[in-house]
Amino acid sequence: MATDATLRPAAKRRGVFSGAVPKSFVRSPLAIASIVVVAGWLAVAAASPVIAPYGPLAQDIVGRLAPPGPAHWFGTDPLGRDILSRVLYGARLSIPVGVAAVGLAVVLGTLIGSTAGVAGGIVDEAIMRLTDLMLAFPTVILAMIISAALGAGIRNAIIAIMVAWWPTYARFARGLVLGARDREYVEAARAVGASPLRVFIRHVLLNILSPIVILSTLDVGRAILTFASLSFLGLGPPPQIPEWGSEIAAGRDYLDQWWIATFPGLAILTLVIALNVVGDSLRDALDPRLRKA
Amino acid sequence: MNLQAYVGRRVLVLPLMILGITLLTFVLSHAVPSDPVAANLGDQAAADPQAVAAFKHRWGLDRSLPEQYLVYLGNLVRGDMGVSITTHQPVLKDLSQHLPATIELATAAMLLSLVFGIPLGIVSAVRRDTVIDQIGRGGSLIGVSMPVFWLGLVALFVFYARLGWAPSAGQLSPRLTLPPFATGFVVIDALLAGQAGVAVDALSHLTLPALVLASSAVGIITRMMRGSMLEVLGEDYVRTARAKGLAPRRVTVRHAARNALLPVITVIGLSFGGLLSGAVVTETVFAWPGLGSYAFQSATSLDFPAIMGVGIVVATVYILVNLLVDIAYAIVDPRIRMG
Repeated sequence: MATDATLRPAAKRRGVFSGAVPKSFVRSPLAIASIVVVAGWLAVAAASPVIAPYGPLAQDIVGRLAPPGPAHWFGTDPLGRDILSRVLYGARLSIPVGVAAVGLAVVLGTLIGSTAGVAGGIVDEAIMRLTDLMLAFPTVILAMIISAALGAGIRNAIIAIMVAWWPTYARFARGLVLGARDREYVEAARAVGASPLRVFIRHVLLNILSPIVILSTLDVGRAILTFASLSFLGLGPPPQIPEWGSEIAAGRDYLDQWWIATFPGLAILTLVIALNVVGDSLRDALDPRLRKA
Repeated sequence: MNLQAYVGRRVLVLPLMILGITLLTFVLSHAVPSDPVAANLGDQAAADPQAVAAFKHRWGLDRSLPEQYLVYLGNLVRGDMGVSITTHQPVLKDLSQHLPATIELATAAMLLSLVFGIPLGIVSAVRRDTVIDQIGRGGSLIGVSMPVFWLGLVALFVFYARLGWAPSAGQLSPRLTLPPFATGFVVIDALLAGQAGVAVDALSHLTLPALVLASSAVGIITRMMRGSMLEVLGEDYVRTARAKGLAPRRVTVRHAARNALLPVITVIGLSFGGLLSGAVVTETVFAWPGLGSYAFQSATSLDFPAIMGVGIVVATVYILVNLLVDIAYAIVDPRIRMG
């Protein structure tokens, strides 16, 4: 389990959390089930070329729009492609895109937000007002503006999500920096003559990273949903590439062939629910203040 | 600070925020590597030097960037947002035709999510860790994890194609004509015109998309209400009310729920942004003639003036809604004004 492995070093570094994290996290059966689901989807993404019964582009024109059956468990789409195979291949795209979009937004937001927190004064004010403005644009609208300007495509969809989301992380990081920069250990580092850059990176940035990482795991599910929305709207990858959102869009004109849209939708639903539960449990386990609620 | 001063200060900042939005959209429209002349005029007109020169002059593209922004702003103030490449109409006219349908859909969804979310949150908190709570929490988890466009398709399939309970997509049945324009909200316009049949038809068309759009906001509001309620239930005044021997129902509603509602009010404003995002995809599924459908059509045909117009209008609506919510919050909770 990747999540567990990445947690441990952080838990060791911050003595407060050591021990408590794995225990309370492992106690919830729902959290365990969700980790299994996420791990399952990761395995599917890795193994789809091996486990998919057909290629994602293989067409069977005679067998088009076939309902679920022994030959095609999830049925076929209007071009006669096997929906099960396309759903399995879809994981190869959605999961990395969700992680990449959130990762880029986190890096950009953390850099900008912690700069604001450290600099203070007019720089801080300017950056915070900019985030206010950015947050006034609903994600999908902002992403549509960016996609309209840059054109549709996977890369531009990732850029769109990154541009729409960095302000949230910037505000979060700024708040954490403001809380951390006057701590005694930071003052101590300054007092022994550490350079401002070293103080910032080693003593401030490293200490605010783990809450940011937790917040971002919560958002991978949302990023996958947003990416699917953009592809559903035709602002994602070109139609031949197997992607859950655009596969659902293909089912829009075939309401009676319910299987076309149903299975890609269930794929998104199961993955995003599992990611949300994992994120929630992580947050509850790591934030004792929230645990009582 | 008294209420007037608080409201006054917030309202004074409003023009600055809107100015900021125009600056941001301007920067976005100029930061992109595409050629605005070709993008706005289309290939045919871009080949005509006269049209290009006229376009450049109208939008001040022959001047420096700060000057260009002033020209852009001047045009905006006069209501000139350019001409849509796809509809060949002034963008402002397009927007004013599409905005009411979106506001109608988003408002209906917001009302539905409050009607379902608040009681569900209260019951989940009072009956904490019971089956009802588990169902409530599971439901809100599914609500925030579900792709809204997929839910829309499933709802259309089940309630329209299979059961025949819901009408087909669109705002009104094809055999009916829109009531005379008063507010732009079809249900209200029909009632104002005394056309009860049209109002009922419009309402039945509104129900399914509004329910679908409300699905994620219900989840957010239920979660928020539950959390807020749990916090309040632990307060001393609730214990006092119980100790006095008040009926449990009265304690829950009068003492706990009323106070627990306060933080939920702010979420209403914030989740309105999510509703507007959701409206874009919901509208395309239900052929709802609102801003979302317009934005979709403009974004896929690279209609830049149109999509910028949508951006400005939606961001402004979002800021206005949050201003109203904050003022409402300041009225019900005097502590906010002190800050």
